Amino acid sequence: MGVCYTRRSGLMRSSKFWALHDVSFDLMHGETIGIVGHNGAGKSTLLRVLAGILAPDLGQMVMHGGRASLLSLQVGFIPYLSGRDNVVLSGILLGLTRRQVLARMDDIIDFAELGDFIDEPMRSYSSGMKARLGFAVAFQADPDVLLIDEVLGVGDAAFRAKSAAVMREKINSDKTVVMVTHSEETVLELCDRVVWIDHGVTRKVGPTREVMDEYRASVPAPVRRGQGGRP
Amino acid sequence: MNPVQARRWLELVWWKAMAELKAEAARAYIGILWWVAEPALYMAAFYVAFGAGIRAGGVHAVPFLLTGLVPWKWFASSVQGGSGAIQANSGLIQQVYVPKAILPFIVMVINGIKFLVVLALLLLVLAAMGYPPEPVWVALPVVMLVEFLLIVALGSLAASILPLLPDFKLIVDNGLIMLMFLSGIFYDVDKLPPAAAAVLRLNPMVWIIKAFRSVLMEHAWPRWDTLLAVAVFSLVVYALALAVLRAYDRHYTKLMVG
Repeated sequence: MGVCYTRRSGLMRSSKFWALHDVSFDLMHGETIGIVGHNGAGKSTLLRVLAGILAPDLGQMVMHGGRASLLSLQVGFIPYLSGRDNVVLSGILLGLTRRQVLARMDDIIDFAELGDFIDEPMRSYSSGMKARLGFAVAFQADPDVLLIDEVLGVGDAAFRAKSAAVMREKINSDKTVVMVTHSEETVLELCDRVVWIDHGVTRKVGPTREVMDEYRASVPAPVRRGQGGRP
Repeated sequence: MNPVQARRWLELVWWKAMAELKAEAARAYIGILWWVAEPALYMAAFYVAFGAGIRAGGVHAVPFLLTGLVPWKWFASSVQGGSGAIQANSGLIQQVYVPKAILPFIVMVINGIKFLVVLALLLLVLAAMGYPPEPVWVALPVVMLVEFLLIVALGSLAASILPLLPDFKLIVDNGLIMLMFLSGIFYDVDKLPPAAAAVLRLNPMVWIIKAFRSVLMEHAWPRWDTLLAVAVFSLVVYALALAVLRAYDRHYTKLMVG
């Protein structure tokens, strides 16, 4: 499966940029797959294809029932509206019906720890408050396949711990998850299998340990920081 | 698309339209008064610009002008706004999947609601100027519906093309300016030389405006055959727009990056 972006590089000229060239893998129900690769390898593009946001230019993606959604934060938020209105808007965009959002509204407000602020316009919120609300809504969206691009937790230290904890819980449940991450710790902890993408091509697909050992070996030592210096 | 999904998209259209209207009202100091003030200023500008000509046209000239301008403003704002709908939402569509066809539709709903406010004002002004409500006014919703179809069709077509050919925006913007003077707002199309009149009669807005004037000024039923022709034309154009929007639905996003 391949994805091509066209960039205009002048009058009547455009260049083609293949973000993904030849990526193939299967995703089984209930498993958690990690996507690793250097920056620019095409991981985010891959997630967007899985979410149905982009269509591949080569090959195809086949979904056997269900819906896949990116864990998208603060999606569709309009600053002039209250938090409450934005929750409804964001919830509908993320796949819930209005009725479902309204039913979960109290849970969302509690989780985001916003209290009465929920009825204030969002432009009066601090960035931490926006992040908390964004996460609280996204978390309730509950698609069949959850696609995560790097972000497990948001906000200040306390909220980040809380949000990351609930995410981990969700991932460890029988949810099907595809996760893009640079954190080796996270991959080893949460993923059943790993897809390694290198310059838009699947380099290796397999059980976590196996792929990560090879991936780690391929990365030149001076570039790796904060990985604990494992032999 | 199954019924549950379809319902969700309709909910989204309505809720997003409401959200944007609320946000607009919150943004401006005078809030929703702007929905009346803006068209009023717009019409006043034309009255001043064409002042001499209008006053020379006699007592009926001001209602004649207004019954042309109000439907036109609705048409122009909607088509222009709708045409940029996909670009305006480029951030959103990178994060979630939304069928692109609903994006111009949201703009149409927003403008439709604003039009209803202005129309109410127009009806009041007409009543005050000696054109009180008549039984034929029941034909108004039909005329409005036909104009709505035309607006949705052309707006969606423009929206489908613009991301693929951004230069097309020039044609939309200037085309609308040109069309404004070719729609019989400032003059009566029937009073033009036959050759000119024939060409102008190809413009669907000429018929829409005539229909509004029939009902509001002449107390006569609009010409149903012309309205039907405009409706059919609109449906054909909309079918074409939907085809393009569906074909490129998951490809537009790639054009917005970078």
